[in-house]
Amino acid sequence: MKSAKKGFDLKRNHLVLILLIAALVLMIWSGVVNYRHRRAEEAQLQAMQSVLTPATPASPADAAAEAAEEDKSPLQGKPAPAFTLETLQGQKVSLANYKGKAVLVNFMATWCAPCKVETPWLIELRKQYGPQGFEILGVSTDDLDKDDEKQNAQDKEDIAKFVNHMHIDYPVLIDGDSISHPYGGIDALPSSFFVDRTGKVVAYTVGLHDRSELEANIKKAIASGGA
Amino acid sequence: MRRLLYVVLAGALCLSLRCANSQKLAWQSDASKADQHQLVKFLYPEQVSLTAGKPDIVELHFRVNDGLHINSHTPRAKSLIPTQLMVGEPEGVNVASVDFPAGTDYSPAFSPEDKLSVYTGEFVLRAHVTAQKGDHLVQAALRYQACDANSCYPPKTASIAVSVIAK
Repeated sequence: MKSAKKGFDLKRNHLVLILLIAALVLMIWSGVVNYRHRRAEEAQLQAMQSVLTPATPASPADAAAEAAEEDKSPLQGKPAPAFTLETLQGQKVSLANYKGKAVLVNFMATWCAPCKVETPWLIELRKQYGPQGFEILGVSTDDLDKDDEKQNAQDKEDIAKFVNHMHIDYPVLIDGDSISHPYGGIDALPSSFFVDRTGKVVAYTVGLHDRSELEANIKKAIASGGA
Repeated sequence: MRRLLYVVLAGALCLSLRCANSQKLAWQSDASKADQHQLVKFLYPEQVSLTAGKPDIVELHFRVNDGLHINSHTPRAKSLIPTQLMVGEPEGVNVASVDFPAGTDYSPAFSPEDKLSVYTGEFVLRAHVTAQKGDHLVQAALRYQACDANSCYPPKTASIAVSVIAK
């Protein structure tokens, strides 16, 4: 009787020991996960603070450099993503067709007021630099209803009206949203990618910029990559 | 020994719970991310009390982010995208119409001769609502297209939910 009780006590002690070890393992695991989470939060907080508090007051030169930095695309210096889109007339156009030329890929929309301001400049600049091997591809990001044929035709007609009204004489491609992702996601319009003769992005601007800045970037695209 | 076990187990349980709480659920982070990308925020109300069966007006308050403007409900050019409210009417709720405020005139710096009709800062929509007795959840979506001084942003849709209590 006494030895049976002793055996039972021994088993219970083993069980308690196993539970104790399991609890300790759980505590260590929780501690590690918590530590990692806190470190991640601290890193995030530090990043936010560094954005909120610049180390020194910004000078106008710094501001200009900052603005240029803002306009930097991850695509800068890299090959422009290949694409094939249709014109309003249904003709397929690929960026690859323009290899050997400097190309401005200009994302725009009919509802974009700043786009309307820069469009006449683009027409003039194309006329001026076209003979040097420069072309513009307007890429419309206007919605196209793909489920409703009638509405789709209306959407295309609205873009065509805009093109005629603005006297755009360079190719305007539709369904630009379909290539937005490889171009880094087009969050704001106008967005312009200046592609050199080898197909590399040499400059990028977002929003309305001075005509002179557009011209400087076009010259850069023409000069870069060899004739 | 047993007392020690209880203490250790309780500690482990607390730590595990704290750890679980510190992890955000997938939908929580997604919701906050979606909210961050909105350029117009729905401010209030989250809940309104109405007299059952009697037409009433619910004022919906919104705020356009600083430095931005959105087209009014009646922009001056056909090519511009108007601000619109799409309302889903649950059973027992009728939204007869929505009044939009008149836009204010805005001339962009890049095109001073143009006059746009826009909303900036806070603006209020007035919805004409009749609800039957009971608790209802009215969901709606505000479609808008925003621009700042130099750029325009693609059209976006902000979700709205208002709890309507009709007594």
